[in-house]
Amino acid sequence: MQKKRPTHQRADRAISRRKFLGVTAGATAALSFGTFIRSGLGAAKVNVLTWSNTLNAMDDVLRDQAKQYTKDKGVEVSFEFINQTDLPTKTAAAVESGSGPDIITLWSNGPHLHDKALVNIGDVAEPLGKELKGWTNIAKDIAIVSKTWKAVPWGIIPIAITYRSDWLKEVGYQKFPDTYDEMLVMAKKLKGKGHPVGFALGRAIGDGNQSHYPMLWAFGGAECKKDGKTVAINSPETAKVVDYRRQLFKDGETEDVLSWDDSSNNRAFLAEAVSVTGNAASIYWAEKKNAPQLREVTDHALWPKGPAGRFGYSTAISLGVFKFSKVQKEAKAFIKWLMEPKQYSAWIGVGEGQFAGLLNYYEDDPVWKKDPKLEVIREIPKYVRMPGYPGPPTRQAAEAMVKYVIVNMFARACKGMSTPETVKQAESELKEIYSKA
Amino acid sequence: MAAIAHAERLPARSWVARFTKSEALTGYGLISPAVFLMLVLLAYPFVLAVWISLTDRVLGEPGKFIGIGNYLKLLQDPLFRQTVWNSFVYTISTVFLKMFLGVILALILNQEIPCRNLIRGAILLPWIVPTSLSVLTWLWMFDSLFSVVNYILLGLGLIAKKIPWLGDPFWAMVSVIIVNTWRGLPFFAVSFLAGLMTIPKELYEAAETDGARAFRQFWYITLPLLQPVIAVVVLFSTIWTFADFQIVYILTHGGPINATQIFATMAYDVALVAGRIGEGSGISLFLFPALLIVIFLMLRYLRRE
Repeated sequence: MQKKRPTHQRADRAISRRKFLGVTAGATAALSFGTFIRSGLGAAKVNVLTWSNTLNAMDDVLRDQAKQYTKDKGVEVSFEFINQTDLPTKTAAAVESGSGPDIITLWSNGPHLHDKALVNIGDVAEPLGKELKGWTNIAKDIAIVSKTWKAVPWGIIPIAITYRSDWLKEVGYQKFPDTYDEMLVMAKKLKGKGHPVGFALGRAIGDGNQSHYPMLWAFGGAECKKDGKTVAINSPETAKVVDYRRQLFKDGETEDVLSWDDSSNNRAFLAEAVSVTGNAASIYWAEKKNAPQLREVTDHALWPKGPAGRFGYSTAISLGVFKFSKVQKEAKAFIKWLMEPKQYSAWIGVGEGQFAGLLNYYEDDPVWKKDPKLEVIREIPKYVRMPGYPGPPTRQAAEAMVKYVIVNMFARACKGMSTPETVKQAESELKEIYSKA
Repeated sequence: MAAIAHAERLPARSWVARFTKSEALTGYGLISPAVFLMLVLLAYPFVLAVWISLTDRVLGEPGKFIGIGNYLKLLQDPLFRQTVWNSFVYTISTVFLKMFLGVILALILNQEIPCRNLIRGAILLPWIVPTSLSVLTWLWMFDSLFSVVNYILLGLGLIAKKIPWLGDPFWAMVSVIIVNTWRGLPFFAVSFLAGLMTIPKELYEAAETDGARAFRQFWYITLPLLQPVIAVVVLFSTIWTFADFQIVYILTHGGPINATQIFATMAYDVALVAGRIGEGSGISLFLFPALLIVIFLMLRYLRRE
């Protein structure tokens, strides 16, 4: 007798292929529909591209705030944090391809570089100004292009003088000198004791430029005139500041500055190789964990004054909304919410001096009362100017900065080139840049 | 009626049949994916880059056609002229060093030495490790404060004061050349080694019988037979080195005082950071005509060989 094949028995019990496909398709459709319904019939999602902060805690606050916003307002917000140096590439790709994040983080001259790709955001910036004691002048210079707000200034990374108070006392200074001339005298004494000062002269896009534009302006020098077109670097004032810089290098500075990138001065300060440098509060913050004994003797000061006054250049960071964004309204509403005191104070509060607001209201933020050594930082926004000053922060000014025209002018002098020669070279580089439309 | 219709359709059908059966068509069909990929991934971006370099395009704006305006302007730019000079110094020095050291290394690796296979494998490490990571290590080795190279040289008494590796225009160029040579040497050595292994042993035996010493054997046998390999490797390396970005960008960012600024780093600064993509494309394509001539001559030489 032929044995009945067991497969038939299984086949009787099992579901047919057609049934299986039918059930799967139905389940998939039901699930997708559920997701669609849950997402609020295609509710808006706002994508923010920003830089990954050296102080991770600040990014954590943003992540939490995004979640809170989604919960309260029903609009999903997602932050993407990338390396600061990758931002220009990603921004360029988004602008060129017409797709990408809805909100973009713009560095210093960014709103001027990408103004054509950004929406008018005056309907957020102006009410914010009205509610929060107005915008600082520099905020307007950064974000207003052709009388239109192209971004909302998020704040600056304030750059202050960071110094070793114990070593200053050793050479007779109770506090940091108020003028560049006094600083030179002090630097000489410090170097004599084996504690040179150090201001980056290498390819440090942040520290190099942030140390040297203020010095140029303080002596009355400028790369161009107020019109933002006429190159004005070749002046007696520039010659004076170049001579000053060379002297500072010779008498009071470590030679290493010529190779410094943005992290070098942090390392040198923490390794107790320099007594004074220009930096964000990140050194002070790093000391908390790595060198608490140094934190006791580290302090901050404003940039010194020169014959033309006191100046500073700190990287400014703004938030813009791309024209190609499909959720412009939602993106703007989120930026407005982010800038309101509850959220903003919580965020810069964690930053401990690493970030300062450009709305006058935030000059009295509780963060500045937390630590007397950080109090001076709150004044910095008042003195900040952007590359291109006294002209607007144009594309040409941005190009001059990324080509290190000003920093290199000083660096060549420190390496031994004569003042007229190095100024002339800077002038020809600037003329070439400013000749472009 | 039906017969006439049939007769009319017949030639058409046979034409289709002929076409589909033709070897040529099958050939075209088989290479079409590759051609398609080349067109999309290589030709299109290249032609687009050439087009952009002929416009005054800035990020986010279409720009207008200005002919060779970007190229003419670049020639007047002192910074660009320095970049051209730096690129040539960088490329010629590194390719020469890699070739010279590569031949020596290949000759050593071709000898009967202990652990030969292990060493042959290990020699490839600098080539395999992601460049950005290995260069970060070099960055530390050349650090102004913590340079282990200076520490050793000072310890051995070879230098009296520390060398400003990345802080001095001359030493910065030396640094990037050292790192590029270190990274590219394995490619040269292994390619040359492969070439050496194809040279028949009999030639050396015959030469030895004729009384030729090692150097003459190298000069009259090894070098001529290795020449095609050397030509190809040098050609590739020249193109790669001219287009190199990572080593310089990580080590010096083109500094100090633009002493190590090369085509790729300058193009990056101008196109992506300052937003002038027309001019940036011009910088990266500037050498294309010259390279094209080099490639043409090299390939012609190879074909003749």
